[in-house]
Amino acid sequence: MTDKLTMVEAVNLALDHAMANDPDVVLLGEDIGVNGGVFRATAGLRDKYGLKRVMDTPLAEALIAGISVGMATQGIKPVAEIQFMGFIFPAMEQLICHAARMRNRTRGRLTCPLVVRAPYGGGIHAPEHHSESTEALFAHIPGLRVVIPSSPVRAYGLLRAAINEPDPVIFLEPKRIYRASKQVINTDILPLDTCFTLKTGHDITLVSWGASLRETLAAANVLASHGISAEVIDVATIKPLDMATIVTSVKKTGRCVIVHEACRSFGVGAEIATGLMERAFIELRAPVVRVAGFDTTMPYYRMEDHYLPQVDDIVRASIKSLAWR
Amino acid sequence: MRFFNLPDLGEGIPEADIVQWHIHEGDSVKEDQPMVSVETAKAIVEVPAPCSGVIARLCGQPGDTILTGAPLVEFVSDEENNATVVGKLASDDSTDNSDESFIIGAPPGIGEQNTSSDLHNSLHRLAREFQVDVAPADRSRQPQTVAYPLEQPEPLKGVRRHMARTMSQSHACVVPVTLFDDADIEHWPAGEDITIRLIQAIATACTAEPALNAWFDGASESRQRHETVNLGLAVDSEEGLFVPVLNDVASMSGAEIRQQINELRAAVKERSLENSALKGATITLSNFGMFAGKYATPVVVPPMVCIIGVGQMREAILSVDGQAVSHRVLPLSLSFDHRAVTGGEATRFLHAMITQLQN
Repeated sequence: MTDKLTMVEAVNLALDHAMANDPDVVLLGEDIGVNGGVFRATAGLRDKYGLKRVMDTPLAEALIAGISVGMATQGIKPVAEIQFMGFIFPAMEQLICHAARMRNRTRGRLTCPLVVRAPYGGGIHAPEHHSESTEALFAHIPGLRVVIPSSPVRAYGLLRAAINEPDPVIFLEPKRIYRASKQVINTDILPLDTCFTLKTGHDITLVSWGASLRETLAAANVLASHGISAEVIDVATIKPLDMATIVTSVKKTGRCVIVHEACRSFGVGAEIATGLMERAFIELRAPVVRVAGFDTTMPYYRMEDHYLPQVDDIVRASIKSLAWR
Repeated sequence: MRFFNLPDLGEGIPEADIVQWHIHEGDSVKEDQPMVSVETAKAIVEVPAPCSGVIARLCGQPGDTILTGAPLVEFVSDEENNATVVGKLASDDSTDNSDESFIIGAPPGIGEQNTSSDLHNSLHRLAREFQVDVAPADRSRQPQTVAYPLEQPEPLKGVRRHMARTMSQSHACVVPVTLFDDADIEHWPAGEDITIRLIQAIATACTAEPALNAWFDGASESRQRHETVNLGLAVDSEEGLFVPVLNDVASMSGAEIRQQINELRAAVKERSLENSALKGATITLSNFGMFAGKYATPVVVPPMVCIIGVGQMREAILSVDGQAVSHRVLPLSLSFDHRAVTGGEATRFLHAMITQLQN
């Protein structure tokens, strides 16, 4: 595979390869079959694998999740698409009360190998309910994995891994970067439950995930142009959280800025900051800083950029951290 | 552009009927080239191409009615796969794809540290560029005491700074109580050495009530009562307050005490005092009344639990056996740390001291 693909094309390729590889993998969701999905993530797959493996569902997320739980416990590997993460809430009852607990409830006799894909996050000028980042809601639930890719390569590799995983995975796709850049996909399956270090450095650690990594990497470049070397970590699997990689980096740099577009309070950033306090308190040379969305309802698109962390916000937070003595 | 929708051809005209197409599916069109004639309620109008491109589909036949805002023609477009029902997906491949390569987990090894001066300089350039005020974060980790902006600040040094800190610490932890009383010294011969008498009275009182000749540690809530009386003597100087120590005053004669006091005072004046001479006091005497002042609330300095302040000797009218008489008296102020010493112990101590002075 030598063509460069966008993230959404990489998702499509991962689904294609997973279905070709394993006849138990089936897709279901709203408009994913005939239409190919509102973002074209499933384009062409119904023609290729047939309507029994690529199922258009009614507009009913509780049903999508419920059917998926039923199929998953009986040996099928459903990959469900929730059209936008803002519509996932009717599915949460099935995901939290059943999918997440199935292994525990049956003392390991049944597992629930389902993947729920959902485009999430802001920055595409969408109307209400289409722009939130509510990954922390799922990360809080024992038994759920939460995975967020930040590039075409990691979208492919992590989605393939998520489909192989015997337990439920919430796979959140940052739609703002669905088509933002292209990469050559080498069809490697990547490990879950680990961070990825995108850039090594020794003065400060920048931690992010999803679409915000674009601004985070840009901020690291600004710092680099001034002789400040930032390490950039893509958390990738939000839950379970690979604190070991983040702690190792912060023990080296002594400083950490966490960037996320989800609203500031009670989020994954708070969890990481606490983990650092618990495990790298002695090595921290400045308070851990969060650059995040506001604790408000996500604004409509005219105000979107004020809400989302910008490159300058991250650089300023880094300066504050570096200047702490 | 993928779909070109029928624009509003007049003021709020809701629809138009297709009269005749001038182009076919598959044609290349140029911007502003007439594509179709449509008939509205008012006139027949030519609709030009909004942009150059290849026509994929004509969205109606002659005679069909097209609503304003509905698709009129579809262009061949690579936007086909980008379609979403909501929003716009930016595609911007211009940014540096610095994450083309990445490390799973943490990078091996620790790597080089910047030297701090390099970092400091580049950081301050960056802070200026981004208009970030880094001064507040430059503060020491130690919270400063209240900062009053001074026009000509004169930082305290040495003994005076030590005094400021000692007094602040004392104020922060000691629970002080002060007793006031007078000693009637009318019977003293002229020229009696007041300081020696006071020191001897303190030594006697320490025997009577050892609880005041003690150290107290608030953190461990424990005390240590001392066998010997090592007296700290507060000595005023231009540089600040010195408290040199006279060790085991109970075993010394009056003359020995006076000689040692004189030596210590001289050493304070010459700044030749050994550091060891300032350590180990178990109780303190502040004979502040040489100039003025009757009573005071002297400050107990931990770990000591007691300090005796003595004001200016004066003539006072006393009632003795029902008669008003004028006697010389010494005003005494005894501060004690009520965490370590009871009121009863303090009053017994003061009583023993006055008895000794009036003896």
